[in-house]
Amino acid sequence: MAFNLRNLSFSRQVLPAIAGLALLLAIFFIVGGLPDRELSEPENEPPRAPEQLADAPRVAGSGVVEPSSEVVQIGSALSGLVTGLFVQPGDRVSEGQTLFTVDDRVARSALREAEAAIGEARAAIAEAETARATASRQLALYRNVDDPAAVSRSEVIRAEGEATAASQRLALAQARLQAAQARAASARTEIGRLTVRAPIAGEILAVNIRKGEYVSTMGGGGSQPFIEMGQTQPLYVRIDIDEEQAPRLDMGAAATVSPRGASDQQVKATFVRAEPLVVPKRSLTNSAAERVDVRVLQVLYELPEAASTSETLFRVGQQVDAYIPAKGGE
Amino acid sequence: MIWIAIRMLTGDAQKFYGLVFGIAFSTLLITQQLTIFVNLLERGASGVYNVSSADVWVMDPVSRTTDVSYALPSTALDKVRGVPGVEWAVPHIRAQASVRTKSGDLEGVAVIGVDDATLIGLPKNMIEGSPDVLSQPDSVIIDDVGMTRMFPGQSPIGERLELNDQRAVIRGIADATPSFTSTVVLYTKYSQALNYVPGTRNRLSFVLVGAEDPSQAKALSEKIERETGLKAQTRDEFARDGVDFIIENTGIPLNFGITVALGFIVGVAIVGLTFSLFIRDNIKQFGALKAIGVTNGKIRKMVAAQAALVGFVGYGLGVLGTLAFIWSFSANPTFKGFYIPWQIPIISLVAVTLILALTGWLALRNVLKTEPAAVFR
Repeated sequence: MAFNLRNLSFSRQVLPAIAGLALLLAIFFIVGGLPDRELSEPENEPPRAPEQLADAPRVAGSGVVEPSSEVVQIGSALSGLVTGLFVQPGDRVSEGQTLFTVDDRVARSALREAEAAIGEARAAIAEAETARATASRQLALYRNVDDPAAVSRSEVIRAEGEATAASQRLALAQARLQAAQARAASARTEIGRLTVRAPIAGEILAVNIRKGEYVSTMGGGGSQPFIEMGQTQPLYVRIDIDEEQAPRLDMGAAATVSPRGASDQQVKATFVRAEPLVVPKRSLTNSAAERVDVRVLQVLYELPEAASTSETLFRVGQQVDAYIPAKGGE
Repeated sequence: MIWIAIRMLTGDAQKFYGLVFGIAFSTLLITQQLTIFVNLLERGASGVYNVSSADVWVMDPVSRTTDVSYALPSTALDKVRGVPGVEWAVPHIRAQASVRTKSGDLEGVAVIGVDDATLIGLPKNMIEGSPDVLSQPDSVIIDDVGMTRMFPGQSPIGERLELNDQRAVIRGIADATPSFTSTVVLYTKYSQALNYVPGTRNRLSFVLVGAEDPSQAKALSEKIERETGLKAQTRDEFARDGVDFIIENTGIPLNFGITVALGFIVGVAIVGLTFSLFIRDNIKQFGALKAIGVTNGKIRKMVAAQAALVGFVGYGLGVLGTLAFIWSFSANPTFKGFYIPWQIPIISLVAVTLILALTGWLALRNVLKTEPAAVFR
């Protein structure tokens, strides 16, 4: 049967063809339109358990890096203006090194006053010694006279009185010297207290004062510590373990620690100690609302030293994720 | 012989188009309504499907869906990380908030906080910008529903919003499937979300888990439930939970069920009436065929061929109508992500076959009883 346009029937040939095309189109559309629900691998590396713990019992925790000495918040014994600041963040200081000085003009003038008083007392001593020497020579002269009629009895009494008074004046002047010396010493102590020194060797972590600012001994109430320092060689990391998980923890085993955002860089941290006190978990979200219903056991681990300063992976205050082996099987 | 049957069928154009229309209409009704029904229900699971990398979702035992959840204490994350078989686990927060736009309007939004470091929990694709914009301060990524709802006809990039008295700058647009309620969704970092959502002590809504062996996700979820006492659902289970929640709490299944049943009844009525009328009209021809010795089996085949042609053309046109409907509305954000599951055309094909078989069988009864002498009456 040759193809002939006149023989072409709409209902017998065109319509079925349209229907067939529609079905093909539908198959194409349906297959192509299926939603993409494939699981995909995360683009950024999430923290994963280390390989040797992948199928072993383990406990996970999060924590914060801290200096091995914990953070020392340096205070000032006396209030006043800061007149000298000798460190900046990142400096390594030795024990006793001056960190900053507070205005000491008042203490220094007190010292000068005391020194003047010392001079005055010394002069008084010299004067008293002279008077005593004069009086004692007078008395000796009278005593050496053999003839009792040559010196009247009242003269002798007066000379004796003068000698006694002179030695008492000397004693008084010496007492004044001691008082002035004590005043000078306390002024010096005051000056010493106005110089704030490093209590331990370590690294300066933060400096929150500047020259000319007023430091007050009335700390607290949300005021920042003047200087924060701590021993950062080695660094410790304080891991919070949920109290329900704490009994499972293999105490003493090394932890695998990775910093937030660089979870592919895992390091082994050695066990230091577990804090004897179980504390409410501190919220690390800067949110005022604390979560107090969860208590955590804090365990300290020592981080290995970085190969060089440019490769520092951990910094004080950084959040970390940790995996620690758990005891035995289930 | 079959050719004669087809000629017979198309000879009466009116009846033929009536039949085709009946089948096409019921196919369209059944396919289109079922498609919308399934897609609407799957909106309940869109929150789960938008997160493309989590094998298992861990939540409080009373949580039901992505939107109906009870917060966990923050150490739940570490508990889950401690379960062997868990490759990774990240926090995920989903919360409702009100946002004040620049013009002062109030809009309810869902704030989704994804893990700070890895950004796990974001939709797979972005319309504009990259997920890394979240590392900038006060950044949020809006979804495309939000783009059309809150910023019609303009780019939302760089717009500033106010969330819980805090600044939020839109720096990206995510390509996400809208939720059942088409809520505007703002994606941000977990730590940022905590500030945006004023809340209670516990904030963590879900822990997203990647399994070491994704094919063993079911076993892993059971293990997590056993070891932590929390509820763990695999991705598919949790998606199913979202769908079930809609089925249990809305009248959608009943309403759409009624429409689908109507489609079936309309199909049966139109096709049945026309087909039996057509057969009855042609009863003389069948009688003549019988008179020249055509067997009942042959006649059955002829009627079957007629039914097949009507069914094929009608079904094809009905499916075409559904395609045209879905395709023409695909640009509408309400219909975003709508697709035709492959099961639905098969269901409607079965329905069409049933309609034709039923009406064909009814019509044939007369023909088979026909005496060859009928041709002379």
